[in-house]
Amino acid sequence: MIGKVQELAKQYLTSGKVGAIFGLRENNGHIAPHIFKEVEELDSLVISPKYPLFYTCRPSKKNIPRLLQEKYPEIKVGVVAKGCDERALIELAKRDQVDIKNIEILGVACTKEEAVECKCSKPYPYNLLIGERVEGVSEDKDAEDLLKKGLPERLAFWQYQLSKCIKCYGCRNACPLCFCKDCALEQELWSKRGELPPEIPVFHFIRFYHLADRCIECGECEKACPMDIPLLTISKQVRKDVKELFDYEAGLDVGQESPLLTTLDETPMGETISDGV
Amino acid sequence: MKEFTPKIIGFCCNWCAYAGADLAGVSRLQMPPDFRMIRVMCSGTIDPLFVMEAFQKGADGVFIGGCHIGDCHYQSGNHRTKKRVAILKRILSYLGINPRRVRLEWVSAAEGQKFAQVVTDFIVEIKKLGPSPLRRLDV
Amino acid sequence: MEYKNVLTVCPYCGCGCNFYLQVLDGELIGILPCKSHIVSEGKLCIKGWNASDFVVSKDRLTKPLMKKDGEFIEISWDKALDVISAKLKQYSPDSVALLSSAKCTNEENYLMMKLARAVIKTNSVDHCARLCHASTVVGLVKTFGSGAMTNSIGELEDADCIFVIGSNTTEQHPLIARYIMRAKEKGTKLIVADPRLIPLTQFADYHLRQRPGTDVALINGFMNVILSEGLEDKEFIKERTEGFEELKEVVKKYTPEYVEKITGVSKELLIEAARMFAEVKSSSIVYSMGITQHTTGVDNVVSCANLAMLTGNVGRLSTGVNPLRGQVNVQGACDVGALPNVYSGYQSVADENVRTKFEKAWRTKLPQNSGLTVVEMMNEAAKGNLKAMYIMGENPMLSDPDINHVKEALENLEFLVVQDIFLTETAQLADVVLPGASYAEKDGTFTATDRRVQRIRKAIDPVGESKPDWQIVCELARKMGSGEFEYSSPAEIMDEIASVTPIYGGMVYERLEDIGLQWPCLSKEHPGTPYLHKGRFSRGKGRFFGIEFKEAAELPDEEYPFILTTGRTIFHFHTGTMSRRTEALNREVPTGYMEINFKDAKELGIVDGEKVSAQSRRGEIEVKAMVTKRVPQGVIFIPFHFAESAANMLTNSVLDPVAKIPEYKVCAVKVEKVQLKPDPVNH
Repeated sequence: MIGKVQELAKQYLTSGKVGAIFGLRENNGHIAPHIFKEVEELDSLVISPKYPLFYTCRPSKKNIPRLLQEKYPEIKVGVVAKGCDERALIELAKRDQVDIKNIEILGVACTKEEAVECKCSKPYPYNLLIGERVEGVSEDKDAEDLLKKGLPERLAFWQYQLSKCIKCYGCRNACPLCFCKDCALEQELWSKRGELPPEIPVFHFIRFYHLADRCIECGECEKACPMDIPLLTISKQVRKDVKELFDYEAGLDVGQESPLLTTLDETPMGETISDGV
Repeated sequence: MKEFTPKIIGFCCNWCAYAGADLAGVSRLQMPPDFRMIRVMCSGTIDPLFVMEAFQKGADGVFIGGCHIGDCHYQSGNHRTKKRVAILKRILSYLGINPRRVRLEWVSAAEGQKFAQVVTDFIVEIKKLGPSPLRRLDV
Repeated sequence: MEYKNVLTVCPYCGCGCNFYLQVLDGELIGILPCKSHIVSEGKLCIKGWNASDFVVSKDRLTKPLMKKDGEFIEISWDKALDVISAKLKQYSPDSVALLSSAKCTNEENYLMMKLARAVIKTNSVDHCARLCHASTVVGLVKTFGSGAMTNSIGELEDADCIFVIGSNTTEQHPLIARYIMRAKEKGTKLIVADPRLIPLTQFADYHLRQRPGTDVALINGFMNVILSEGLEDKEFIKERTEGFEELKEVVKKYTPEYVEKITGVSKELLIEAARMFAEVKSSSIVYSMGITQHTTGVDNVVSCANLAMLTGNVGRLSTGVNPLRGQVNVQGACDVGALPNVYSGYQSVADENVRTKFEKAWRTKLPQNSGLTVVEMMNEAAKGNLKAMYIMGENPMLSDPDINHVKEALENLEFLVVQDIFLTETAQLADVVLPGASYAEKDGTFTATDRRVQRIRKAIDPVGESKPDWQIVCELARKMGSGEFEYSSPAEIMDEIASVTPIYGGMVYERLEDIGLQWPCLSKEHPGTPYLHKGRFSRGKGRFFGIEFKEAAELPDEEYPFILTTGRTIFHFHTGTMSRRTEALNREVPTGYMEINFKDAKELGIVDGEKVSAQSRRGEIEVKAMVTKRVPQGVIFIPFHFAESAANMLTNSVLDPVAKIPEYKVCAVKVEKVQLKPDPVNH
């Protein structure tokens, strides 16, 4: 399948449909996001579910296509997007972090095995050009284990997990949707600075809450955590809750505004939901 | 065994809930002690982080009082409150903190009786739930 | 429009994590962790995530500087190197010393020591390893024959028991602490010996809070328990070691009761921990500054080696004695010989055959006598015997003990050259300052703590007129008349290193492209060595030594009743030249502090956040008090990163007699409230 993707990308580049391709490049066994400008370079284009494309570069707090668009507004960028990449792109576009009109999406679907490995519920982009749509994984063992526990057990679990935190900010740095210039995690007001572990559970609660309407389930937060804290478990559950309460899923529709920014008339709330106890 | 007196923080909106609380006080309705009220202009200004802060600093329960839907002085401030509190409660439950420790009520300026009632109910509930588990973590 | 991801090594600690520097049109735009790296696996600590900030700081030195009438003026490279070369030639070789850099690449350290020996003709070249792991190099060479981490970082995950002593691993080597935590979650038992309540203690099965400076007694206590319960590995001792009788004799005295009196660790705890360590199949010892920075530093390291050999925990996977090297390339700087008594590969300067080999390779006569070590250099400079120093990438004004003495020494020199990326406290005292290039602006290699040699790669051009340090050293050597410094790239320098250094014999840039190579790597076909001493020790048989406990040099007394122990925090690094120019790190910890036990604080009437005065026989500082239960009563802790409250103003420059490492971890201080007094007339 990678051959077809490379073919298509080369076509886009040579025909002038796009001025550059944003995708994963393999170099000496190492894979990282890259901007391809020459057709020959595209021989090293790869697809890998382990490496989402969108990161927030620091200190500018902008993603790569945006940096490219700001510097070279005339260049159209082709993004070789998997399901998670497209979701990130849509959410970023919603918030004016990238100009989606100037982006061509070369959608690629993941295989069933890849979806299982990532525990992904939607392993394909809407703008699908290559590959077949497969059923995502709907069970989530980590969440099930969590929900089976009673409240005191859950608290003990998170107290242990969050006490391992070394405040690397990796979860935030790796998140495509964490681009706020004044990040709440850095404010002394909520969590005392310079202490290990950071205040439990406030420090991590901030991200769970702030990303309620934007988490796209790419799993980068968990992958960036040096202490293997299972951050995705709560974020995924909250995403499910947001769907239940507001019939809203982040990353699906550029036009759909976040329910937390609208009134109850615009986005009503499902009334019959329990508190999740 | 000493009886547990819960510490409750109440965020009350200036136009409705706080006025309602005032009315309760003026009417000499019994209000339990250890209920600290913080007046805000609109319940929509309550960032869930304030609620977490309250728990972190030792509150056993957090009460949020706002206007009835449709009566918000700022039109749709309380719409936001309702949505936010719903998500807040979910996250609290995943973290292992009983979401019943957060109570959202709509109380108008004329409902002094109702205010006293809901607050008393809430305190009874918190007494049943016991001291907040986060209290011990902070020490 | 050009975008590239440049894979390189994080410039901070010895974990050797890899990340990509993202470069768009020649400008650094971000950092991306490398998911396929064998140690870091896509994760970084807060310093690593922000390792590009200081590179583009406006404080970067961009032009050579010369001091004229007390002020620095900018001069050209040519003039600067002419001045340096002329000056250095004036002095006799015995009155010149060089400080090489654990932050610079292997190639640069090699050239620095070659410059010292082949051009200036002195063996007085040293670097900051003297201040941190000199005890390790001496101690492990004595016992095993090789002074480096015996196993690899990833192996910690599969140990059955890990004994962490004198290492605040979570804060100092976060990505190594990761493997310890993973081991813990798999069921490994964790024993932590540290006077302070470090982050790792809350996960430890046994936390031994020994009095600072009593590590020999503690470990002898372990061995006493193990021997009296018959838990030693008899076969290993018989087949692979010598000197066991000597050890047995000495250890007899260190019963749990005796050890409790010395260390303060309860005998029940000691017995249980010792049993746990010896009963399992694979136990690993992890240590760091907490035991090396003492006048008994070598003794402490030898004790660890004794314990490992006693229980047969050397030469197998997930065992061993694992010193965690602090600086990114301190292992490499030692490996390539930036030390006064050895050439590269730890080949002795005193050995006639070795010297002849190097004389042939470098085509010149070489000096015979061992040179001065770091603290000795300062002492000789203060006395006036040392007249000139060339310091590259080091900041002794903040990192050496007894800073007042260091200042006196450096100011007493007739000529001081400092080569660095920022105008550090040391550079401010220099006569000539040369701007070097940072890790992001040059090619080269770093050697991580588990002996892994990895490539760093150039991502952007050096700022201003700064140059990679290897180029500067070559140009200087050429100015001084040497024809042996013609290299067109760091790869060529590595080829030369490989040709004279057996343990680096197979190090060639093509082979280092992937995950690097762990030395010993004796030839181009050799695959590198994950763990040492398999089958036989580097010296043949492992040697036991019976070590008696000795107290630290300066103990608390009536006048100075507290023990000062110094150390680090995760948010800053060493003298702060890089970390204090990084926004995210400064935000977390903007200034220095002193940890004091809340009972002691109450007695002295000190509240949290109050500015207090800490004094020792050597100096005084004002520092913010942090009232906590992290330190035991009678002990205070000050991190040494902060120039405005420099812990090393107070520390003792007394040295371990063999390793010459200063006793940073124990000295006597007093703490007083700051009296409000009118501005003093004299400083």
